[in-house]
Amino acid sequence: MLSVRRWWERFGTTTLWTGAAVGIALIIRHTQGGFLLESYQLIARPFYSSPDRTAQLENAQAQELQQRLIDLQNKNQKLEDLLGFTQAQKSKGIPAPVIGRSADHWWSNLVLGRGKKDGVELNSIVMSPGGVVGRVSKVSDSGSVVTLLSDAFNQVGVTVSRTRATGFIKGQSGDKAGSQVIMEFFDKNVDVRRGDTVVTSAFSKKFPSGLPVGRVESVDMGKSPSPEAVIQLTAPIAALEWTAIYPHLPPQTEDLTPDPEPRNSKILTSPAEKP
Amino acid sequence: MQFPGMTQMLQTVKTPPKIRLILGGVLTVMSVWICLMLLPTRLPGMALAGIGPNWLLIWVVIWSFKRSVWQGMSAGLVLGLLQDAMTEENPTHIFSLMFVGYLTSRLQKQRFLRENFIVITLVTFGMAVVGETVMALQFSSLGNRTLIDIWKHHQLIALSSAILSSLWAPVLYFPLNQLWKWSAIPHD
Repeated sequence: MLSVRRWWERFGTTTLWTGAAVGIALIIRHTQGGFLLESYQLIARPFYSSPDRTAQLENAQAQELQQRLIDLQNKNQKLEDLLGFTQAQKSKGIPAPVIGRSADHWWSNLVLGRGKKDGVELNSIVMSPGGVVGRVSKVSDSGSVVTLLSDAFNQVGVTVSRTRATGFIKGQSGDKAGSQVIMEFFDKNVDVRRGDTVVTSAFSKKFPSGLPVGRVESVDMGKSPSPEAVIQLTAPIAALEWTAIYPHLPPQTEDLTPDPEPRNSKILTSPAEKP
Repeated sequence: MQFPGMTQMLQTVKTPPKIRLILGGVLTVMSVWICLMLLPTRLPGMALAGIGPNWLLIWVVIWSFKRSVWQGMSAGLVLGLLQDAMTEENPTHIFSLMFVGYLTSRLQKQRFLRENFIVITLVTFGMAVVGETVMALQFSSLGNRTLIDIWKHHQLIALSSAILSSLWAPVLYFPLNQLWKWSAIPHD
């Protein structure tokens, strides 16, 4: 008993303090660092850069192409309307400033200065001029963390838009880690060449299909077990200052269940069979 | 002109060891918080190939440098939990930072290492490599990345992080060391 008391007199305070520190750290971890994200966002607020609109509009050719695209989209919309093809209305993006990068070097993240208060949800899609950037993986009241396309853990289903060759991309390490990713194809014989555009595929559950990802930089057909290509991402991930966040509406994955009694079903009975 | 009241006040702040201890504790917690807030930044001149210094690792090294094994390891545990909160929980940073705390506090036993800036720099360099290696081992055991990818990535980040952390370590070491001396927070 005396020894316990002596021990307590010597180490009691230290043990209590250590316990308190561990407890607080555990609580912070349990809340997924929401407090830390909030306070970081608060500190970084004065350092937001204002969106540089002039630089984005400088390129006259890009503007011309954009106008043509709008024109084509409008025509397409009219044709779709004529055909009775309905599509979900595209929602407006939430502009969000980039205020930080990952707090560790094993993951590739962005910290954005917009959160739940501004309508950001988990798994929202983050875009920038140029294409997809990533997906919201953590969100607090006024900040959010984005898992980038170039993250080595993140695999995203993509397709080559010219030939519809499908595969997935994964991040790579090295000095070009932020700007290039590796695409692995599902098939052995694929038709792909340098310069082909790569978009997100319909197989991907993480992203809606058809979003621009990048361009094929080089192809290695001899790679085992399946060919590989190096994709140059079109979004300038390493130099991003502003992004746009769009809510992700996952496609309906409900399977069509077969009718147990097809004979009684109304669709199958043709008018000729009726008495 | 003299300010007797001011001088007296400063003296009363300076003299009671209790207040010094409390103030030292608050400032120590603040320093951890500043390190946490520095983690997601990539200020110009502070990053190498998109990789910044590992501020929490620097803090653990400085804390453990003149403390017991247990103190070093508990600092590693607390800061590991906090870094988990900032990133992902799996694999955890607890093991790497605890191991760093353990190794650094064991170094003091050999008396050939005397504290100064150069020694802190060297120790931080080594510990950054050790810390990233522990992380790489954890990733290898998880098995959701290929071994080639992990160890190629490890090579890059261990070196960049070690260089940057060791160069920035003295910046953190000097104020913290002064603070702990002044406030008499249990020190070896």
